Amino acid sequence: MSISRPIPIPSTPLIRRAAAFQAALRRPDYRGLYLPAALVVLWSLATYFGWVDTRILVSPLETLKTAWHLLISKMLWVSLGYSLARDASGFLAGSIIGLLLGTLLGTSRLADRLISPTFHAFKQIAVFAWIPLIAVWFGLGEPAKIAFIALVVFPPVLLNTFDGIRSVSRDYIEVARAFEFSTLQQSLRVILPAALPQIFTGLRLGLIYAWLATIGAEYFLKAAPGVGNILIDGREKFLMDQVITGVAVVAAVGYVFHYLTARLEKRLLSWRTRTDVP
Amino acid sequence: MAKPGTLSIVNVSKKYKVSGREFPVLEDISLDIAPGEFVSVVGSSGCGKSTLLRLVMGLDNGYQGEILLDGVKIKGPGLDRGIVFQEHRLFPWLNVEKNIGLALQNSPLSPAARRDAIREHIELVGLVGFEKALPNQLSGGMSQRVAIARALVNRPEILLLDEPFGALDAINRTKLQAELQRIWQVEGITMVLVTHDVEEAVFLGDRIVVMQQRPGRIKRIVPVTKPHPRTRNDFDLLQIRESVVAEFSNVAVETVIA
Amino acid sequence: MNAQATQLALGSPTLSPVRTWIVPRWIGQSFAVTARTLFLPLLILGLWQLTSWRGWIAPQILPAPTIVWATFVELIRSGDTPTNLLISLERVGWGFLAGGSIGLVFGILMAQFPSFRAYVYPSFTIFTQVPALGWIPLLMMFVGIGEALKIIIIAKAAMVPVAINTFQGIRNIPENHFEVASVFRLTRLQVVHKVILPAALPSIFTGLRYGLTHAWLALVTVELLASSEGIGFQMVWGRQLFQLDVVIASILVIGIVGLSIDLVFSLIESRLLRWRRAAF
Repeated sequence: MSISRPIPIPSTPLIRRAAAFQAALRRPDYRGLYLPAALVVLWSLATYFGWVDTRILVSPLETLKTAWHLLISKMLWVSLGYSLARDASGFLAGSIIGLLLGTLLGTSRLADRLISPTFHAFKQIAVFAWIPLIAVWFGLGEPAKIAFIALVVFPPVLLNTFDGIRSVSRDYIEVARAFEFSTLQQSLRVILPAALPQIFTGLRLGLIYAWLATIGAEYFLKAAPGVGNILIDGREKFLMDQVITGVAVVAAVGYVFHYLTARLEKRLLSWRTRTDVP
Repeated sequence: MAKPGTLSIVNVSKKYKVSGREFPVLEDISLDIAPGEFVSVVGSSGCGKSTLLRLVMGLDNGYQGEILLDGVKIKGPGLDRGIVFQEHRLFPWLNVEKNIGLALQNSPLSPAARRDAIREHIELVGLVGFEKALPNQLSGGMSQRVAIARALVNRPEILLLDEPFGALDAINRTKLQAELQRIWQVEGITMVLVTHDVEEAVFLGDRIVVMQQRPGRIKRIVPVTKPHPRTRNDFDLLQIRESVVAEFSNVAVETVIA
Repeated sequence: MNAQATQLALGSPTLSPVRTWIVPRWIGQSFAVTARTLFLPLLILGLWQLTSWRGWIAPQILPAPTIVWATFVELIRSGDTPTNLLISLERVGWGFLAGGSIGLVFGILMAQFPSFRAYVYPSFTIFTQVPALGWIPLLMMFVGIGEALKIIIIAKAAMVPVAINTFQGIRNIPENHFEVASVFRLTRLQVVHKVILPAALPSIFTGLRYGLTHAWLALVTVELLASSEGIGFQMVWGRQLFQLDVVIASILVIGIVGLSIDLVFSLIESRLLRWRRAAF
């Protein structure tokens, strides 16, 4: 009997429905394109016939031209590099804090009882409210920006790490006990893998928030080379095309993060139900 | 020193405390199980039969009386006992092979011997070809086979089965009961099966321990002398089954069986 | 040696039996809960006060808690905080009202009409994926930095979670609920009233909760960026004057409002859930 024998997948109604849903996702639905297309047409007409002040609202073609010039310019990529470096440092700092604290609160009841109420109250403070304080404490340069990003990143990472650890099924722990696992074995072989999907969710959220925080930090703290600066600069000079391009770049980076982490998650956590529909 | 696989349960009682009040779950249970014997414990839900099994496994504690395995008092879980739960409790992130291998985490075997043990036990439960499958790719019956292999791979002296086929459909249940009978004969180890399925208990057991509920007590012990392998519709077995079912109710026996 | 003797021999510090004998159990318990909840805040406060007493940190960087408290009280007494807060709350109110209703209608339409969803959903996704901070510069060019900008940004922040949760809440109603409804030959209106609304309500509620939280977040953001009044402005103003006590007092106010929003919603939600448990 060969090992590579295909594993039979039971065909339940749910799986059939999921398969149909996935097939529908694969089939392109062009109806979604009509609305954006209509907007672009309206935009073109408005600029062509001068319904709007063309000094502010540039035509789509002009915008595309500007976008192209920016894309082939060094400036955009250098700015993007600065922003991404900032993003990465802040994310790293914030997620390490989140992971450590989340693990502490998840494994120690005492720490949970002492720290969690304060954390939950702290979490309620709208995060941008910290900006003035951060500006005073860390100045306006790079440390302040990274501190802000870390501040945004750590709560979702902490919460999901905590939740992931706390919701590990007692059933699994009993199996580990039946096989006489040591505490270390139990942590590494049972709790960590069982909590991993949720820890990953936290990191994913953290990464996406980190990007928003990066733009926010570039916006609110002193201007420095970065994608946020393209936006600010464009607005100040009333260069609508530059602003639109900048917004598109911000959204594209967000989407790339979203897409890559989804792929990574799928690959790392393939043991979860295969009928999982995104 | 008793022979390996001898289990003695001596005057065991256990109470649960719920919001300050005590509820007796088990009262004065005494039972001796010989090496290689297959004992079925039947009772309706809430009679404490699973609790008894968990005490033997060492997953629960805080009881009066003594539980001895080969003359030694049980203190917590150990590799000399294997357990199969009602839910398979396989780790979804590990494939079949690795799930079974997990049980060998603290075994003194060499890596090569471990590989052999895993292979043998996959063969034993008839899952050759599925070594790399993940739990979510297996049916309920297959998952329970893996759970049995995982419980046996340490070569425990005694295998505890806590309603292992309770969540399976009737066809798979019958199949796995026959499989379990075969495995028991091949391995020759002591097995204790907890179930609420009288047919299953009689088909597999050398002795049937009938329990009553609130508090859980042993009502009767019924010997089943029929030699293994048995056939399901054997006349003697049918008669024992009827007499056991009669223990549980005064209403017509036929309806309960159906 | 039995367990009690062991405990005595080891001199175990747990005196719980004695305590329950002297004071009723629940007083002891609630005291313990309060004590451990306040432990960390009091510790931080203590350290903070200590640093300013000892002069470890300049007051321009970290004013003493006593000063912050005095400022907090003074800002309330002078009417600065109440005026600014009222303006902010009004903005949030209008923005949430607009965004919440649009989100609700949008979510229902997307869930009920597949063709509407097919036309609109991709554009909606793009719209939601671009963060508020991306829309702000664009909007500024169209509507300036006045009140309209704030309301639109807040409404957008509130609209997205409401729409998504409404949509998903209706979409996730199990098919068999509708089958039951068709067995009893309920009319379309009855289906909406008896099936869709009660079944999707918890999810819609979650959407509203997130909507309001996001609206508050957006308000602070947009007031920091472009405003001449409101609680966010009070903070900017404090920073420009290098009055950190004003900044921290404002953060406190923002936190209290955020906490109240959360508290009110979880209170309503627990009532809602209780109703749900009773209903099923």
